[in-house]
Amino acid sequence: MVPAQYYLVLSAAIFCIGVFGLLTRRNALLFLMSVELMLNAANVNLVAFSLYWGNVTGQTFSLFTMALAAAEVAVGIGIILVLYRNFKDVDVTEATTMRW
Amino acid sequence: MAAPLQAEAPTWTALAPALALVVTGLVLIVVDSIDPDDGSPALLAGVGTAGALASLGLAGWLLAGGTGQPDTGGAIALYGDALVVDGMTLFFQALFASVTALVVVASYDYLYDREYQAEFYSLVLFAATGMALMAAANSLSVAFVSLELASLPSYALVSYLKRDTGSVEAGLKYFLVGALSSAVFAFGISLVYAATGSLLLADVYETLAGGANGLTGVAGVGIVMVAGGFAFKTASVPFHFWAPEAYEGAPAPVSAFLSSASKAAGFALAFRVFVTGFPLGAGIDWVLLFQVLAVVTMTLGNFAAATQEEVKRMLAYSSIGHAGYALIGLAAFTTADGGNVLGASMAHLMVYGFMNTGAFLFVALAERWGIGRTFEDYAGLADRAPLACVAMTVFMFSLAGLPPFGGFFSKYFLFAGAVEAGFWWLAAVGAVNSALSLFYYSRVVKALWLEDATAEFELGPTPTALYAAVVFAAVATVLLLPGFGAVIETAQAAATAVLP
Repeated sequence: MVPAQYYLVLSAAIFCIGVFGLLTRRNALLFLMSVELMLNAANVNLVAFSLYWGNVTGQTFSLFTMALAAAEVAVGIGIILVLYRNFKDVDVTEATTMRW
Repeated sequence: MAAPLQAEAPTWTALAPALALVVTGLVLIVVDSIDPDDGSPALLAGVGTAGALASLGLAGWLLAGGTGQPDTGGAIALYGDALVVDGMTLFFQALFASVTALVVVASYDYLYDREYQAEFYSLVLFAATGMALMAAANSLSVAFVSLELASLPSYALVSYLKRDTGSVEAGLKYFLVGALSSAVFAFGISLVYAATGSLLLADVYETLAGGANGLTGVAGVGIVMVAGGFAFKTASVPFHFWAPEAYEGAPAPVSAFLSSASKAAGFALAFRVFVTGFPLGAGIDWVLLFQVLAVVTMTLGNFAAATQEEVKRMLAYSSIGHAGYALIGLAAFTTADGGNVLGASMAHLMVYGFMNTGAFLFVALAERWGIGRTFEDYAGLADRAPLACVAMTVFMFSLAGLPPFGGFFSKYFLFAGAVEAGFWWLAAVGAVNSALSLFYYSRVVKALWLEDATAEFELGPTPTALYAAVVFAAVATVLLLPGFGAVIETAQAAATAVLP
């Protein structure tokens, strides 16, 4: 069996790729994909440690995370759609009518 | 003595305040599907208000009947300990229901002649349901799910004015920061699970106190990330920068809802998770973390508010400052102190709920009349709308913490609690910031009463419901002065009962 620490390294790596994408991409859709990567890093942890601890709490919660990620994307796509209609672009740095 | 009625009912009825909110949200959708043309906004607002008031009544009734409190058998745990109903749950549920009722009443006028009103009201009630569950969460999985249930409708509500670039931009920024912080929150939960093997707060507490199976480092990182999730919901540093944009761009009743109820919900969850889930000094010294966050948050919020030119944006930064005050509840937390500081922080959130909602609803009134957004645009309003201006003056002085208003007592107890717990410097920073805040709050009052209007303008017809909501919030703020003793006692008893 692969030791549990390896999964921590894997999930941390996926999480960091997600954070990197989030900081460097200007396209709102790629931003959503990066967030998705970060949530799936959490899922890797939950499933791996569910096996490690011998209970199904982690696996069950990872199903909840997936469902919520889908719901979040549904709302996010809606907001990106109105963003496109108002600003004619999905670049997140375009929307600056108010100062940051 | 006969057992109170509440003790004879089945235990799931303890969730009645949350159930009332979700049922009302569903009823609104049914009403909309029967009459899809938005032909009866009064009916929709009426149903929403009735549901919120029913939730408030149920929460008050259960609280008065002693449900889940130590003298009637302690907290009621439901669904395999995933949910818990105790004094703290009911206290916060009463707060969320009051703010929801005020916001729904005010929205009736604000949404005049707009499309998709039924969806607006049902989203408000679903978000309120999520908040009510956040107050009842006793496991990290419920914490995550209820936090998302409160957040997702909020994203849609902020971008409700879909042809208004400001509203869409606000919704986008709120969503981006929210999605990021919920991913950080989920990753934090997965790390805590990795170290402890459970998501139930009581089990997590025990395992962490027993050394976390040699994985204290992993648990520590997880706890910091969980704190990040709460920082977003409560608009605290470092996830605060969505707040000014979202509050400024959103429809004003939604800003009121987010800055009062949503913030209080974040604190309700943070209090529960940190106090009952993460023992002091295991993995990480989270009290120190919150001390830093509290000082930075209140200083940043108040200094930024002092430099604003627009009233709504000033209120947004002031709400960040108030998040900093409420953080003192966790920053000065010690087990020796009992629930004093925590209770004072809860009481402050209750008073803040009314005065801040009222202040944002006054901005909604100004937006409805079509006058501008800056301090100068508010000049001379007192001649035209004296009653609303008296109400706004009450909110401003109460937010600043001047003596004859509810906000004075809540801040006094908060700072006194911090001093008693040995954190006098936290109270000192808070007091300095309070003094600074008087500067920008009084600018509004000065504009309303002392300055003359720069141009002639007419206000048009009086929006009755919005007016009523503003006046009611002002009455509640004033009544919380004589009633503050009861509020602080309830809050401190509830906070003491939560301690593990």
